[in-house]
Amino acid sequence: VSRLVAALGVLALVLSGCNGGTVDKHALKRDAEKVSSLASEGGLLADDVSAGRSTKYFVRVHAQELSRAASDLQDALGKRPTSLGTTADVRSLSRLAGKVSRELEQLHLHPTNRTVARSLEQPLKEDVDAADKLAK
Amino acid sequence: MKIFQVALGILAAIGGFVDIGDLVFNVSAGATFGYQLLWVVVIGVVGIVVYSEMCGRVAAVSGKAVFDAVRERVGFKAGLAALISAQVVNLMTLTAEVGGVAICLQLLSGLPYRWLIVIAGIALLVVVWVTAFEWIERIFGYGGLCLLVFAVAAVKLHPEWGAVGHGFVPHVSTESPLLYAYFAVGLLGAAMTPYEVYFYSSGGVEERWGPKDLGLNRVNAMIGYGLGGFLSFALMITGGALFLERGIEPEFLGSITLGAEVPLGQVGLLLALVGILFAVGGAAIDTLFSGAYNLAQFLGWEWGRYRHPRGAPRFTVTWFVLLVLALGLVMTGVDPVQLTEYAVIFSAVALPLTYIPIFLVANDRTYMREYTNGRLANVLGLFYLVVIMIVAVTAIPLLILTNVGQN
Repeated sequence: VSRLVAALGVLALVLSGCNGGTVDKHALKRDAEKVSSLASEGGLLADDVSAGRSTKYFVRVHAQELSRAASDLQDALGKRPTSLGTTADVRSLSRLAGKVSRELEQLHLHPTNRTVARSLEQPLKEDVDAADKLAK
Repeated sequence: MKIFQVALGILAAIGGFVDIGDLVFNVSAGATFGYQLLWVVVIGVVGIVVYSEMCGRVAAVSGKAVFDAVRERVGFKAGLAALISAQVVNLMTLTAEVGGVAICLQLLSGLPYRWLIVIAGIALLVVVWVTAFEWIERIFGYGGLCLLVFAVAAVKLHPEWGAVGHGFVPHVSTESPLLYAYFAVGLLGAAMTPYEVYFYSSGGVEERWGPKDLGLNRVNAMIGYGLGGFLSFALMITGGALFLERGIEPEFLGSITLGAEVPLGQVGLLLALVGILFAVGGAAIDTLFSGAYNLAQFLGWEWGRYRHPRGAPRFTVTWFVLLVLALGLVMTGVDPVQLTEYAVIFSAVALPLTYIPIFLVANDRTYMREYTNGRLANVLGLFYLVVIMIVAVTAIPLLILTNVGQN
């Protein structure tokens, strides 16, 4: 029984860890939702900073986590092969992920600056809309 | 005085109910399906009450903790399979909890993550070494009560209460049924985490429970775990009310605390971070001891957290080695939140390996005399046996088919 459990475990880890294949329409939708999620969460964080509702260390650390996740998506989408008809959208999503990452990096670098945070709210909202469009 | 002590124990149990698995799965389920899966939490909480009550009763009447009973009832080979799977899941969970402690400390202090892993490891070691166990339980349990901030946050986020009520009615989603099933399995796995039961029954043996303590066992299991489930509801409602509409997939521990920050500001954020720190830290200690209990009970070593380390040297070495292994694994850069998802799913797979022997022992008159399962315990025990078997068989296929809940 333990051997079976171990084998199933390894199989699950291998199969579920596969994330580097061709980007088809389904994968594009999925990644666009991820970019939208990161931008939306960044927007919430920026909103809290501009209203003085957060703490310096929390914003610094969490914004960096979100920024790195967006940057990883940018890299992956910029390099991975694409299926027919999705190339332009995939590269466009990659650029969008890069933009989200840079905006969140600003929040990481200025975790208590309300003006910076306020200036990021609208761009992040627009990023959410753009990513949602690509997800459709 | 006795009532006061019971109340203190219950408070500690509520604060200690939630671990990193509950945090991740409840908030993610809320963010993905709103309040639709609240009924699964109810099933999971009743399940852990049934399982732990049986284990506590077996401990009180026969003086045997889980792996003592498992080895004796099912033999060495089957017992060894159960032990190996339990220890693997335990180590994964411990690693995730230690990583969770380090992340919380980082969100509070801004210090580098790797330093904080070392600090978390040293802090856990010192706490376990120098603090009396009843105090460990209380400190982490009461600290974990800060998580009640999510209940306040859930109310302040103004969820649709009609939809929340509907979530308690069992139903199946026609939209994304596989993903729905994956979260249902994960929520059951998170609520019925086996280490909690190993820890609970071993504690019963250490505190020398006897048949006179069966009432206390029932109260502890029902009220402690039952009210602890309330925190799970709050987490899921927060996830549904804040994240679902905005399309946010909470992938980080920091995302979860936004659930308290957005409606309650800095105070909410700090209470959530402190609550998670204590809840996850307490779970790390429970998991650490569970691993040592399991091995020591299976191999017939001296064991016990109330003993001086010299009185149970192999038990002490085991938990120390487990802590070092977990620290090493966290240091590799593994993501504690992702690891939690795997740990919860694998714990669901391994659950029958200890549940079935305990269910058998709880019905065996040679161990239990007149304290075998009554009719209600058997009906519930059989129901959960079926649930656990379905969950165990479907957990890994669902993990694969949904790409760890991503699709």
